[in-house]
Amino acid sequence: MVDVLVVVQKEADASELLTIAKKVGEPVALTYGNSEIEKLTKYFNKVYRIKEDDPNSIFFAIKTLYEKLNPKLVVGMSSKNLKDAYSRLAGIYDLPLATDIFDFNVSGSKVTYKRSFLSGRAIETEEVTMPLLLLVSPRKTQKSEGNSNGSIEELSIGNSSNVVIKERKEKVKGGVNLEAAEFIISVGRGFKNKDDLKLAFDLAELAGAQIGCSRPIAADLKWLTEDHWVGLSGKKVAPKVYLMFGISGAPQHLAGITDAKTVIAVNNDKTAPIFKNADYGIVADLYQFIPILTKKLKERH
Amino acid sequence: MSTLGDIVVLIKPALNPEMIRSLPDGGVDFDNIPLKLSDIDRNAIEEANRLKELLKGKIYSITISTWGPIAKRDKDIKMAIQEGLAKGVDEAILLEDDSITPGDQITTASAIVSILNKFNIKPDIILTGEATIDGFSGQVAGRVAAKLNLPYISFARKIDLNGNKVIAERDLEDYVEVVETQLPAVISVTREINSPKPPTLIQIRMASKKPQHVVKLSDLTNVAMPKKKLAEAKVLSVKRKQTMIEGKSLEEVADKLIEILEQEGVLKH
Ligand SMILES: Cc1cc2nc3c(=O)[nH]c(=O)nc-3n(C[C@H](O)[C@H](O)[C@H](O)COP(=O)(O)OP(=O)(O)OC[C@H]3O[C@@H](n4cnc5c(N)ncnc54)[C@H](O)[C@@H]3O)c2cc1C
Repeated sequence: MVDVLVVVQKEADASELLTIAKKVGEPVALTYGNSEIEKLTKYFNKVYRIKEDDPNSIFFAIKTLYEKLNPKLVVGMSSKNLKDAYSRLAGIYDLPLATDIFDFNVSGSKVTYKRSFLSGRAIETEEVTMPLLLLVSPRKTQKSEGNSNGSIEELSIGNSSNVVIKERKEKVKGGVNLEAAEFIISVGRGFKNKDDLKLAFDLAELAGAQIGCSRPIAADLKWLTEDHWVGLSGKKVAPKVYLMFGISGAPQHLAGITDAKTVIAVNNDKTAPIFKNADYGIVADLYQFIPILTKKLKERH
Repeated sequence: MSTLGDIVVLIKPALNPEMIRSLPDGGVDFDNIPLKLSDIDRNAIEEANRLKELLKGKIYSITISTWGPIAKRDKDIKMAIQEGLAKGVDEAILLEDDSITPGDQITTASAIVSILNKFNIKPDIILTGEATIDGFSGQVAGRVAAKLNLPYISFARKIDLNGNKVIAERDLEDYVEVVETQLPAVISVTREINSPKPPTLIQIRMASKKPQHVVKLSDLTNVAMPKKKLAEAKVLSVKRKQTMIEGKSLEEVADKLIEILEQEGVLKH
């Protein structure tokens, strides 16, 4: 008897998803593509595997296992490909699906969970009866130890995909890892030219900070690569200090920094909304202020 | 296969997050948050216009209203649909019914399929935004694709047509994937695919002359009832200190800032 199907690639995700699965019952796992399969067998008694990693193939595999095992819950970590695959299984059977959830609880066949709502400005709690599909927000669930010694079974899904992959292009990266950063200096439209970002980069190097940015800097102007992009559609960050220059404080940007401990904003418009959403505010022209700050920091050494 | 070249855009009047209101107990004051056309659906409409030039068919919009009470929301809902018509949609279909508000994605997807059947629309492409600005769950397009047994391309930031083929770039976390499929297909687009402009006054005036159909649940068959219950919604209150750092000179302000950074422990010695 299987209660939960966990779709997972990485051990770090497995340890969190197992915590959720155990609240419902007995799990098995499905893994895909380039996964940490040997490590996954520590967490599950059975791990099904497909070699492919595109959403069509994942969808076919989940559908096959869903029909075979009849689980009450299908769960995974939120990602674009899993959103694609899960939404299709949900569509076929009119199953409820929720994405980016946390605080999962079960009572009988009733389930509740929370998720971010209204572009990150609210938290909603939804209530639903199983069977159901869930995609979980990473790093918000306690980890479980794995002490299984599971078996691996290859799953063949045939070549039934109607979407052909022509090419994959790796994204150019700026070499930052904002999710792990303790100190982020973030830049916005207050900068007039790409070259001016050097002001922020010099400061960041001196202060040991990583550079983040608002959406326009990465998406519209393309002055920085997407790994710098913070917000609703960018990275969710949790540094000790988030120091921003020339960012107005749109709710979609704030959605990325709700877990930041201390938020500091420098903006030359004293009415900028960011000042209501910052711990410390400085009304100043960044072009005057950053060089002074940099000089002062240099003198400290 | 139909070769009418028609396009359907799925567009949602969403709660406007910028106008969020809170009740005294911190709950979301739904009744006083207006609706607006969800931003990313604007990109879908813009893309539909571009593709229409190649496909030569009509653009239909389909809207399932998910936030009630309809009587109170009707104006906002119609405004959102009007914006679609002003921006190039040729004919709009709207389902308004208090018995399915607040809705969920199960209801929305099944109602969309039901409307396609009722109006006998057989589109070459169904387009929508990757997610809506209120729920941001991004699952309606995939559900519709599965129900219609059509190929699905999610998170497209570029779409090209070549005869009966679609070639699209999917924007994923670590890479961009170029994929190809046959029409008809369902495609969700990202905000990066184009830059829509607001409609002009002339476009808005023209819009009111275009056909619009409002249907009720009783006009449709096989619409699934919502299964999710919105038990609670709280305004996220991240309380920030809101202290202004001031000084006689920027030098003094910089000194104070450095002191704070030291206290927070982010400056290495
Ligand atoms: C669906 C959706 C998703 C989105 N996702 C994101 C997201 O993930 N991340 C994100 O950031 N945005 C996102 N946005 C966009 C968001 O709404 C804002 O448009 C964006 O955050 C604004 O960026 P900004 O603050 O850099 O620019 P602006 O809003 O233009 O602000 C620039 C600020 O710089 C200040 N300034 C100008 N000159 C100076 C100077 N010399 N010195 C100091 N200050 C100066 C100005 O006073 C102003 O406050 C999203 C929007 C939508 C609709």
